[in-house]
Amino acid sequence: MNRKTEPASPKEILITGFGGQGIVLAGQIVGKAASLLDKKESTLTQSYGPEARGGACSAQVIISDRTIHYPYVRRPDILVCMSQGGYDRFADTLKGDGTLIIDQDLVQPAAARGSGFFAIPATRIAEELGRRMMANIVILGFFTSVTEAVTADAMRRTVSESVPRGTGEANIGAFNKGYEFGLATLKGRQKKAEGKKGVR
Amino acid sequence: MNDLKIVLFICNWGPHAAFQMLQDSCRHMPHQVRMIRIPCSGRMSRALLFKAFETGADGVALVGCEPGSCRYGSGTGIAERNVQDTRGILELLGLGKDRLRLATFLPEQSEALLEFLQQFHADVERMGKSPVIPVPKTQPGESGRDLAARILTSHDIYACQDCGKCSSACPMSLCGKPFSPRAMAGSIIGGNIGSASVVSDVWSCLTCGICYDRCPSAVDFPRFIRDMRQVHRRAGTAGQEAHEGFFQALMRTMTSPDLDIRHWDWLPEDIQVDGQSKTLFFGGCAPYFDTFFGRTLGVKTCDILIDSLRLLNFFDIFPALLPGERCCGHDLLWTGDRDSFIRLARLNVDAIEERGIEEVVTSCPECYRTLAIDYPEHGIPISFKVTHIFDLAEKEIDKGAIGFEKLNRTLTFQDPCRLARLGGPGELPRKLISRLKPRGFEEMRDRGNSALCCGNCAWTGCDSYTKALQVKRLRQARETGSNLLVTACPKCQIHLRCAMEDPFLGDEIRMEMMDLTSIVARTIRWE
Ligand code: SF4
Ligand code: SF4
Ligand code: SF4
Repeated sequence: MNRKTEPASPKEILITGFGGQGIVLAGQIVGKAASLLDKKESTLTQSYGPEARGGACSAQVIISDRTIHYPYVRRPDILVCMSQGGYDRFADTLKGDGTLIIDQDLVQPAAARGSGFFAIPATRIAEELGRRMMANIVILGFFTSVTEAVTADAMRRTVSESVPRGTGEANIGAFNKGYEFGLATLKGRQKKAEGKKGVR
Repeated sequence: MNDLKIVLFICNWGPHAAFQMLQDSCRHMPHQVRMIRIPCSGRMSRALLFKAFETGADGVALVGCEPGSCRYGSGTGIAERNVQDTRGILELLGLGKDRLRLATFLPEQSEALLEFLQQFHADVERMGKSPVIPVPKTQPGESGRDLAARILTSHDIYACQDCGKCSSACPMSLCGKPFSPRAMAGSIIGGNIGSASVVSDVWSCLTCGICYDRCPSAVDFPRFIRDMRQVHRRAGTAGQEAHEGFFQALMRTMTSPDLDIRHWDWLPEDIQVDGQSKTLFFGGCAPYFDTFFGRTLGVKTCDILIDSLRLLNFFDIFPALLPGERCCGHDLLWTGDRDSFIRLARLNVDAIEERGIEEVVTSCPECYRTLAIDYPEHGIPISFKVTHIFDLAEKEIDKGAIGFEKLNRTLTFQDPCRLARLGGPGELPRKLISRLKPRGFEEMRDRGNSALCCGNCAWTGCDSYTKALQVKRLRQARETGSNLLVTACPKCQIHLRCAMEDPFLGDEIRMEMMDLTSIVARTIRWE
């Protein structure tokens, strides 16, 4: 394929939650997967102010095909919220056609959302898998399938390299669970768009 | 080459007079027609009609009296219904319904009778020989005593500590039958294989597995009974088959390799299947059950197959089907006909593997157990994976984005023995039920491992005691206050529905039933 394609404009990603949820680790995984394995440019900045202990924190990732000159996210294309506080604070910054991803048990979105809105009970799923701490990895799996901002392979490899030794398999399981959930959500939407709700 | 076998069952009263007239006047009748005189056409049950085909008939004519001239009043009407049901079965088997005909004549209609016989002979000649190869009688081979000794050791019946837990839990003992698994085992160990009480006990056991579940020495009664039935079958003391052995005869007939079975002809058009798929849906005998019981019990077990397929389609799985699917052989194995079981198993496994199938999905607990466990255990290895549809559905639903519509019913659940205790995914039905959105779910007093049997297994030993057991079970279901009895096996539906027909108890034990697969399929939704 020799067709010259316009390089995709940079994707700005903001992941928010509270301290202890592994928000920054999630940001690191996305950034590493995009740069080291998907061979794109990426940056990561993180913020956790005085509220670091259990308070709001966020990780800002930019992924681009070209050099990134400014590493801060002002208007995210993708906003991932794992806490109500993070949602309240950043929801308005999301671009009009941006993608909002929430943990549905932790965040109550203000109004009904359209096609860019995705919800998953990530923490509940992680609990069912035996470790509440893996909620960030579950939501990363979900993020990967619904946004396709990074490839699943790159994410899986980065996840297993980034999590504590001995937890690799469990975390890959968590990632896959979230990933499958995302695929199922997309499939469900497509089915509904085709007018198929149930078996007939 | 004309070695056709045509059986003429002719009623003693009206038409036999006509037949005699033909004989007396030396009229030429097709010599392939063999006449059997019967007391009334209405006495020819479906099992008797079918057995003629099982044993090699190419055509069967049932000739009775004209409606209204039946000596017993209702004979002709009963004959009509029996013939209609049996023709349905012949059609499913691919033998063709026209091999069985019903006709009625008055005593003086000898010419018309002759014409009928000539015409029927010509029709059968056109259809040709029946592809059914009668199953030879099992050769005695090993002596019953040796075989029994081997069975006793291989199932380690000697490990019995005589504790009596089995007899105190056995539903047959509990509903008053003079029956005790422990006593039976004791008699057989003592060398008393052929006594009337042992024979009767061996054929009465439901092979439900509660005793096995309770036994501290893990004495495996269901398998032991299963193999003991082989001993008794060889000795000619097989018995107590329900419906006069209709189903065993049907299944034995299916061991003929050249049958052109039409298992799926009735499938609704909206169901998507794919002949190239590596996943196969194995339906089980529901089409035969519905043909046999549809009129009397009104059961629609084919709905379970339709709903299973719709559910697979919902998950974007478009499975292959075996057009000539045969019975899995469960009931033959569990009534001691191991040879026919193995023939069926071979035919099924060959047909499945010929298509390069990697996974077989089924919604019938008996098919599941038989394919997954009993085929390999009887020396027929399988190269494919066997999945119960509950397992598949649970995995798909667990991926997410799937929910259920509200169901305004209160449910209770009848565990099928082959899932709850004998090799199936026992916990899965409840997992699925917990995902549904019914108004409520109430467990019965005896449930899960301790669930009571629906009252029959492998079409043997149906009697007033098993009926009492069924009534007990249905009372438990009603006690929960639920209004929908959820089942997971087509036979639970049949046997329990049959019990509900009791004219004296009637409404007291009647309850609507629906298979769990159907409930899942009918309420599942994309979220
Ligand atoms: S429960 Fe087991 S050990 Fe006890 S009497 Fe029955 S078969 Fe024997
Ligand atoms: S399998 Fe069931 S019916 Fe048979 S002896 Fe055991 S408990 Fe009784
Ligand atoms: S319970 Fe009814 S359907 Fe079942 S074997 Fe007995 S008579 Fe037949």
